[in-house]
This record gives sequence, C-alpha cells and structure tokens, in this order.
Amino acid sequence: MTATRGEPGSFPFYGTGERAPRQRRGPLAGLRVADFCWMGVGSVATRLLADFGAEVIKIEDRTRVDMPRRLPLYKGEVRNYGQQDANADPNRGGLFNNYSRNKLGVTINLRTERGRELAERLVAVSSVVTENFAPGVMEKWGFTYDRFRELVPDVIYARMSGYGHSGPHQHYRSYGPIVQAASGLSYVAGLPGREPSGWGLSYMDNMAAYYNSAALLMAIWNRRRTGAGTEIDVAAVEVGVTLLGPILLDVTVNSHTSQRPDYPTGNRLEHPHAAPHGVYRCAGEDRWVAVAVFDDAEWSRLVEAIGSPDWTGDERFATQESRFKHQDLLDAYLSGWTADQDPHTVMHLLQSHGIRAGAVQNPQDLNEFDPQLAWRGTFFEMDHPVIGPARFEGFPASMSGEGPDHWRSAPLVGEDNDYVFGELLGVDEAERVELAEQGVI
Amino acid sequence: MATDASAVGAPICQGLSVVEIAEDPAGELTGKLLAQYGAVVTKVEPREGSPTRRVGPFADGVAGPDSSLAFWYYNTSKRSFTAELPGESEVLESLLEEADVLILSVSRARQDELGIDLASIAARHPSLVVCAITPFGQDGPWSRYATSDLVSLAAGGLLNSCGYDDHTIPPIRPAENQAYHVAASFAHISLFLALIERDQTGRGQVIDVSIHDCVAVSPELANPYWFYPKALVKRQTCRHAQPTPTQPALFSTGDGRYVYFALILSDPKPWQNLVEWMDTHGVAADLADPQYSQVAYRQANFPHIQQMIEAFFLIQDAQTIYHEGQARGLPIAVVNSPDDVLVDEHLVARGFFDEVELPSGKTAVFPGAPIRFSAYPVVPQASAPSLSSPAARSESL
Repeated sequence: MTATRGEPGSFPFYGTGERAPRQRRGPLAGLRVADFCWMGVGSVATRLLADFGAEVIKIEDRTRVDMPRRLPLYKGEVRNYGQQDANADPNRGGLFNNYSRNKLGVTINLRTERGRELAERLVAVSSVVTENFAPGVMEKWGFTYDRFRELVPDVIYARMSGYGHSGPHQHYRSYGPIVQAASGLSYVAGLPGREPSGWGLSYMDNMAAYYNSAALLMAIWNRRRTGAGTEIDVAAVEVGVTLLGPILLDVTVNSHTSQRPDYPTGNRLEHPHAAPHGVYRCAGEDRWVAVAVFDDAEWSRLVEAIGSPDWTGDERFATQESRFKHQDLLDAYLSGWTADQDPHTVMHLLQSHGIRAGAVQNPQDLNEFDPQLAWRGTFFEMDHPVIGPARFEGFPASMSGEGPDHWRSAPLVGEDNDYVFGELLGVDEAERVELAEQGVI
Repeated sequence: MATDASAVGAPICQGLSVVEIAEDPAGELTGKLLAQYGAVVTKVEPREGSPTRRVGPFADGVAGPDSSLAFWYYNTSKRSFTAELPGESEVLESLLEEADVLILSVSRARQDELGIDLASIAARHPSLVVCAITPFGQDGPWSRYATSDLVSLAAGGLLNSCGYDDHTIPPIRPAENQAYHVAASFAHISLFLALIERDQTGRGQVIDVSIHDCVAVSPELANPYWFYPKALVKRQTCRHAQPTPTQPALFSTGDGRYVYFALILSDPKPWQNLVEWMDTHGVAADLADPQYSQVAYRQANFPHIQQMIEAFFLIQDAQTIYHEGQARGLPIAVVNSPDDVLVDEHLVARGFFDEVELPSGKTAVFPGAPIRFSAYPVVPQASAPSLSSPAARSESL
C-alpha cells in the first residue's frame, strides 16, 4: 500500500519544480494522447490517464482558452462561479490547475488550415484521441474516426458528450445540471411534496468523466490483447440513467410510479426500513450529523451509546418496523439529543458503538481535520509558477502496484509548444516562430 | 456512432474472469460493469444468499431472495455460486485459481469474520488483481467505522452541497446509492489500471478502494473553492452550491412540472435567444428594450428578468420548453422522473433500454450499457442469478 499516514493539516508534496517534460512512470507510461477535451467532463477523464503515466497533450486555442482557465477560482479572492473577470490571467485559474495537472499543453488554432494540419501530425504520433465538443465540431474540422484511422490504424477515439452521437437530441446543449435533470437524477432528490432539491454540484460531470476514463482503459487494455482500436461513445445522459438504480425497476416491473406524493423520501430510507435514518442538527452554524440504524441490534447499541434516555423506552420504538412508522417522533427526540453537540463528537461516539454515523463534513473538515483522508494522503500539493503551491484531489484508491505519478501542475497557455511541435513533430524553430506570428499556435 | 464490421466479434471483456464477493451495491455495480461487457462474473454468496437479496423493493411487493429488484438491478449477466466462506474455502480457492480479478466489497469487520486476508490471497495468487472496496479503506483511524450510503455522502462531503435554500432543512441526500456508485466507478478504473500493469509485469496487485475517499474527491467545485479562495460553498435548491447565493434555476411549468434553466447574464447570445423566444409568445415586454443589451443593466435588473422568465414558463408545458429552448440553443432541461426517462424519445431512438428475460418467463425493461464501443458488440443482459434453482446455477458453472 502507498498510504502516507499523514497527520491532519499536512499534505504530500509532489513535483520537483522542474517543468520540462520527462519520462513518465506508471501503467500508462509510453501512451500518448492527443487531447481535444475541454471543460469538466473531458478534462477530468483525461486527467486520470495523465496521473497514471500517459503523455496527455492538451490542445487549446489561444484565442478561446479552456473555460476553467477563466472561471474565477482564485487564491485570496472569493467570486461565484458566474462572476468572471473579463481580463483574467488564464494561468491563474484554480479549476484549470485542478483539472489539467500532469498534462502537457499546446496551443493550436483549429480554425486555420495549418492548425488542422498540425493537429493531424500530432494525432499521427499518438495512439489515443479524446474530445468532448458539441457533436459536429470535430467533423467540421474533418476530424472523424475514419480520418484518424488513416493516421493511426489502431487508434482509440473517445467521444464524450451529453447526449451521445446519435439520436434526436444529440445536438442539445448540456452541462452537469442539464444531464442530471434529463436523466432523472435531479428528480430523485428531495423532500416529498416539494420541488426537487436535486444536486448542488455537477455530479454528472464527475461521473461521466469517471465512466469515460474507465472506457478508455478498457479499450487500451483490449488493444494490447487484440491489436484493435475502437471509437467510444459515452452519453452522459445514459450514464445518468444507469445511476438511477433499482427505482427504475420499481417502475418497469411493479408499475409503481415514481410520480407520487410520497416520493422522493428526503433522507429517509424505504428499502430497507431503516429508522432512525436522517441528518440531525448539531451545535454551530449549519452543522449536521447523519445517523442510520438498520436493525434492532443497532438500535440497542444506539440506546446504550446515548445513555438510555426515557424516550428510547417508548413502546412505539420497540421494533424496527414500529420505529420506521413513527419516524417523525423518533427524529424529533434524536434531534433533541444531537442539537447541542458537535457533529464529530456524535459521529465518534456512535461509531465506537458500531453505529453508522457521519458528520456532514464540509471541505474545510475534509482538508484540515479529517484524520482518515490525511492518513491516506488523499489530498496533495504541487507548485505552480503563477498560482504558487496548490492543493489537489488525489486518486481515491491505494494500489500495491504503481500509484499515480504526480510530476507537474497544469500547463501554462502553450507551455509545451516547443517540446511538442519541435521535439515530437520536428517543426524547426523558424517555422514555429512563423506559426506563432500567424496565430496558428 | 457506426458500428464496425468487426463488432460482430468478441465483446471487449471477453475472456476476463471475475470473482465477486459483494455485500453492497459498490462491489455489485463494479461486477455488473464487467459482466455487461462480456466478462464472466461469478458471484460467491453464502448458502442463504447475499444480504443484498434482502433489500427491496421487491417484485410484486413480495419479499424473497429471488425477488429483490435491487439485487436484480446490480447483478445482471452474472452467475452465482454458494459457498461457506471463510475465504480459505476450497471452492473459493479453485475459483480464484482461474480468475483474473477478485472484487471484494465487504467492510473491514466482515473481512475478518469471513476469514479473508488480502495479503495471503495475493500471495497465493500472484497474478490476481484483488480489488477491495471498504467504507473508509483498509487502514487508518476510521478504517473500522461502519457506513451506509447516507453516512458516506455525509462524511465524504458531497451531502454538504445538496439540499434547499432554506437552511433550517438539513442537507438532503440524492437518492439511490450514489456513494456506492461513485466507489464502483473508481473500482472499475483501478482494476483496469491493474490489468494493464499486469500485462507488462505479469503480476497482479491489491487495490484498496475507500468509499470515503471516492466521495471526498468528487464534490466538484466545493474542494477547489476551498483549495483556492478558502471559501465554503453553501447549498442551494437544485443548483450549484456557491460561496454566496445565486438566483433560482428551477422553474415551475404550466403542467405542474419543473425545468432547469440557469441564465448566464454575461453571455449575450443566450440572452438574445431567450428574448426572441419570449417575443414569439408576445411576452418579451420591456426585456426587448435596447438597454437590456448591456450586461450591467441586465445584472441590475436580474430580479425582474427572473420574474418574467417564471411567468413565461408557467404558460407552457415542460416538454415544449425543453425542446423549444434547446432548439433555440439554450441549455435547458425538463426535470424528468424515472417514469419519464423510460419513454424519452432520444433514449428510445438510441436503443438504450434492454428487454431482459426474467426467470419467470416475463420480461422487464432495464437500462442498457453506459458505454458504447464501435468495435465491440453489446452483450445482451441476462437476468440476475437466482438462488432457488441451484441446478441451473451449477450447470452454468
């Protein structure tokens, strides 16, 4: 295992400060990816490849840099997602750094013929191509699977989109919340009889990205066995529907509609009949603890843990079924017990009695205080020439084989043009200067 | 996407042999994601059946080990074998002898109860990829803590971003096992990394997937908002948690449903498209005035704009808003229920849903495969293995 056994507040620090491309380490070392991805889904999907040793060459357009470069997540300056600074330094964006660590960065203006020629030369020395533009954009440039196969016969071409590359809605505009709404995932979150509470994040940006990473790895693994490449079509909406889970079968098998006043059930769990099962207020501003009790044995331990107050002896709480039936009352009592306590104190007390409980942790808790994440070294830091030291979300599994190879923070705009165009593609310096002057790179 | 002629060949995971011991949806979904693509996934269950068979809802509301819809959902295209664990049993050993991958999703305490020791399994089967999914990881101060989907979402931080504008209401769990689903996707990724590495080294490895870590790296903007400006995002109804409140993005429609629409004021094109659309219904009113072409003016009058949009959506039905808004280039969507998804014209046209034949002879509609490969055929889904017909089961082994 690669556990770091760190203490809260300390973070593994990777990278030597040397930014020149170097030999990579890991299961994907030696694999080169021509990465046309941008925004969230594509960037997170190819980040996984870069973490594990692939040479991921991110292609950007200097005149339309990747959106996360422009989104205002800056050190020392709080702005909402939509409050962009029109004159922002594209090398300062924290979200881009988060999404594009370990990748190389080049600039190509694909709206020029010479730019497209250059991109094709880059594809020709790669073996994986990735993109997540709106359907039709790659085609407009002549970049099709057939064309890429002419350049690289066993190419793997991964296409990541909201709705996929066929069907009547393939051109619909999407980002995380759109996918969540269309796939049913927003509907299933909320209190009964109210508007959905849905998601406070682009859950489907992450999940679609993870599925795209997995798809690429499946294809890479299979190509090593069979020599065959493939095109990959992952529609985020379809991934989203598969994540709805058993509720779908309740509709298709039992004809039990989800369009009913008692669905969704908020934090209560209908299958199985868990009770108490909820999120309870604690001391402090907006602090909460989640508690889940599934059976009589767990209930007995809960009663003991909280000191057997009189209400726990109420006959309405004598069995799991009866507790489930009287949840309003049960929740009121339990909230009374948690209300003046610290959420982590409740969590540790209940967990020490074998009860499922968790403080509702915010990012500060996760980063600065969570001893488990610190032990595992889940968050780590690397330096960045403009931003300075910055933190990252690491890979959430330990591998006894090769772990991630974190070597460099995200590329500055066009940082690796000389290496990629010069060393990899053999474009001499005079021509590179000319291409830059003409706005091609 | 066109399918290559070669797609009539073998599925992408053909030849991959997987043993699954899973007592939660994380491991079961990982196994399903392999079985759907042609891997042979053998589920090892105790004689009385996996505990996941006891989780509802149940077919026709009748509880039983072969009627759990949750079990059906997560276990399509697998075969099963019942065995007395502990883990050193001959049955399990012989299965592992032939296997490429072991998926193990039980808690640390259950690993001990079942007598399963990862290091000794790895030592006996050096080319095996052992993918262990646990609530908090194999070691560390919380490794013995117990979890559930709700508890994992809470401790991992994702729950903190989800709920209502009204903060007297607690954070609300997005339903249907999402913490387990996040963990399954990282298990899926990890085991293919390990298989690729094995092709180079000949060696398997032990993968330690922590559900807690998986959730903790997945709340999207919440962590970067802490990494950079050290801001804590606050939950808002059905839209991104942000450092400070933003306008609602959920709108009621004339037919009693909801649409999601977040207007980005700084972008001139969607604004123009929206006003043109409202104008076709004769309700653009003052929004068509020239001063609204200035971003600053739009920002200053956002509450008014928001009210006008609310009224505009209330005079139309949700499906019309979805399709016409999208046709006008606006990122907008109807909030579909699971019932709606099943008849969604796009998904139906893409042939996304599968008819799965059940042991009863009836069929049921299941969602299809989430990833499409042009070069590899889709494997038709088979129903989850039944516990009550051991003959059929051993035959399939």
